[in-house]
Amino acid sequence: MTTIKTKKSFLNYSHTIGICVMDGRGFMFPVDTAIGKNGRLHTVSRAYTPAVFQLRITMYDINSNFYGVYGGYGENLGEFRWPTGMASDKYGNIYVSDELNHRINIFSEEGKPIKYWGETGINEGELNGPSGIAFDSDDNIFVADHLNNRIQKFTKDGDFISSFGDKGQDTLNMPWGLFISADEFIYVADWGNDRIAKYDTNGKLIRCFGNRGSQNGQFKNPSGVAVDNDGYIYITDWGNERLQILDKNGNFIETYRGESTLSKWGEEYMDGNYEEAEPRSRSNLEPDPTQFGGNPHEESAHIEKYFWGPTSVKLDDSGRVYITESNRHRVQVYERSK
Amino acid sequence: MVSNYEKNYELIGHLLRRASFGANKKEIEIYAQKGYSKTVEELLYPSNTNSMPLDLIRRHHPEQSAGFESAGTACNWLYNMVTTSDPLTEKIILFWHNIFATGYSKVTIGKVLFDQLKMFKLYGMGNFKNLLIKLSQDPAMIHWLDNHDNHKGAINENYGRELLELFSMGVGNYSEDDIKECSRAFTGWTLQNLEYSKELAIRNSIWPYGKISWRYEYNEKDHDNDTKTFLGETGNFNGEDIIEIICKQPATANFLSRHLYNFFVADEPPVPQWPYIAPKDPKAIEILSKAYFESNYDIKHMLNVLFNSNFFKSDNCRYAKIKSPVDMVAGIIRLTKEFESPKTEILERNFQMIFMGQELLNPPSVEGWHQGTEWINTGSLTERLNFASKQITNISNPGTKSIIQNIIKENQDVNDPKEIINHCLEELGYINLSDNSLNVLNEFIGLDKNNNKITEKNIKNLLKLIVSAPEFQKV
Repeated sequence: MTTIKTKKSFLNYSHTIGICVMDGRGFMFPVDTAIGKNGRLHTVSRAYTPAVFQLRITMYDINSNFYGVYGGYGENLGEFRWPTGMASDKYGNIYVSDELNHRINIFSEEGKPIKYWGETGINEGELNGPSGIAFDSDDNIFVADHLNNRIQKFTKDGDFISSFGDKGQDTLNMPWGLFISADEFIYVADWGNDRIAKYDTNGKLIRCFGNRGSQNGQFKNPSGVAVDNDGYIYITDWGNERLQILDKNGNFIETYRGESTLSKWGEEYMDGNYEEAEPRSRSNLEPDPTQFGGNPHEESAHIEKYFWGPTSVKLDDSGRVYITESNRHRVQVYERSK
Repeated sequence: MVSNYEKNYELIGHLLRRASFGANKKEIEIYAQKGYSKTVEELLYPSNTNSMPLDLIRRHHPEQSAGFESAGTACNWLYNMVTTSDPLTEKIILFWHNIFATGYSKVTIGKVLFDQLKMFKLYGMGNFKNLLIKLSQDPAMIHWLDNHDNHKGAINENYGRELLELFSMGVGNYSEDDIKECSRAFTGWTLQNLEYSKELAIRNSIWPYGKISWRYEYNEKDHDNDTKTFLGETGNFNGEDIIEIICKQPATANFLSRHLYNFFVADEPPVPQWPYIAPKDPKAIEILSKAYFESNYDIKHMLNVLFNSNFFKSDNCRYAKIKSPVDMVAGIIRLTKEFESPKTEILERNFQMIFMGQELLNPPSVEGWHQGTEWINTGSLTERLNFASKQITNISNPGTKSIIQNIIKENQDVNDPKEIINHCLEELGYINLSDNSLNVLNEFIGLDKNNNKITEKNIKNLLKLIVSAPEFQKV
């Protein structure tokens, strides 16, 4: 592994969107974000049992303008129980995977439920814990069928096309997020194998990046992956609570621990709650990280600006990077440095 | 050569009901081949401490990852209890949780309670002095008993009082002045980021970005550095010195021994009655107290002495305790192997324990839960019977399926109801039933009328009755 040294930071922190709330504007254990038409953002909150009424998809934009919520807990049209992955097709419809109902839900860009598809099982075309999802340029959808340890390809209406990753050597182990690059390679966050796996469109494994560890270029249970037009690979290194960037050859570029500041929604909350805002202004939200024994989960539990539970990374057409953090109920936004 | 006594299935079943959450037939038979003493050794020094991986749980339950509230943290603990290969450690965590009872109702952060359980796991079978020091530095305990409000020149006695009354010596072994002096010694034992942390806890705030965990801090400026007199000794004592003095006291040895006896051997009356009611078995307390001093306060040594003692192995203490809701639920889940991977049903199981009267991480008071017959009332008994009979007959649970298949296989050519019933009791952990209960089962068994053979339905009905028997409510 070669490390390429850059003079300035590859990414610059822009701002944070989100607040932890039970309903409406904000999130409750968000796990993924889809970038829809006209830059509208859709973030799905997994919430938790028994507070399942908090489960929802929140619509907003880069400036934190809020456009409403849709979806909810259940097994009927427009409902899900363990939502995990999100993606948008070329028409702007929003697709949401559901690990517990074992299916894919489809909503319009405004959040109107359209349909769902998916059958539970282990045979080809059946799903067992569908996790990350992504579209290729033909609008076919790839699904990380995580408990079947494979990737399956469907038409967007759910007709099975092919599957791969579960046969031969180097099989996937509980894959989570995935991404189809502009040059039509499939990148998979191979969660249980602590690496990123790259496949061609025929399902042939091209190569893997990384192994288990906390050094640069190593991973612990990566959750999400995205690739920009220059071939840079962005990985939410979930177990290490960080974002890592590799170049197209897998060389390490940079790692980020998180820089979150108070979001617009957070500022508005503090404006109306001086009882919390005042002690917060005197508090230390960045305690010395060396007291946590090098345990990133512990560091993130105490240091508010750090990523905690980074479950997905998404890119928009402007080169912005969106990291959804389940445990901090927010999305941190970064931009490529000029 | 392992003696026949050491191979005794029922004796090993008894040990595993107390030091673990019970065991199935196969597990007991494997331990029996090694013998009772070796089984005790393996429980105390397990070679395998695997349980459901924490990463796997956190992936599927982000609320458990964040330690957001109590139910998620309790479920996380339950996953450990029902999947661990080191069950005695989980039992010890439960033991300390009941004595150093700390509740979510005031702490309001699941992560902080998770950290306390982790501390019990690390120190709960070690030296009692170290455990008390870690307890005094535990952020959940500091907030629960207000030690962050215990200042130099303005003491708050809450922690100092409970340290002596409920955590180490028991009422009647110290004076009110000792409480004050003890509290002075613990001034300055507080939390980092105190003002904001307290405010968020009081308001149970989740804003803006969920909950921020807590860390211990020693504030030297707020520590009372003057001379103190405690239990007859005088000096410039800090908290560690106070704990050193506490641990030397025979009262501490007796108090801890009685707690161990109450939890592992036989039900004692609630702690407030201990000053007035003598222990059931004073000789046993004496033996355990001796073990405490001879090992320099080592909990593991005390447990080794306890499990190998005649008073523990005696027939008199078999089924002498009422199963706590945790014992009942975790025991059945381990038997039925319901959770081989994370599932939302874990929350339901936690609720079932609550309905039976035990909400983990939210004890009724600083005194913990009263044991014994207080676990049983008409509501909780119905809940226990319904839960156990439903779980033990649900063949989607791999453990249940295996139990039923084993019984059918072993009884293909058997038409003696007593033998069939005996096989069922063995599968559930070599359980002993009274003659009265056995007679009921005999009358009920109802073999297939055509060929006098056992069917799956017969077995399910038998299993339901066995887990509803009075003996199954005991441990």
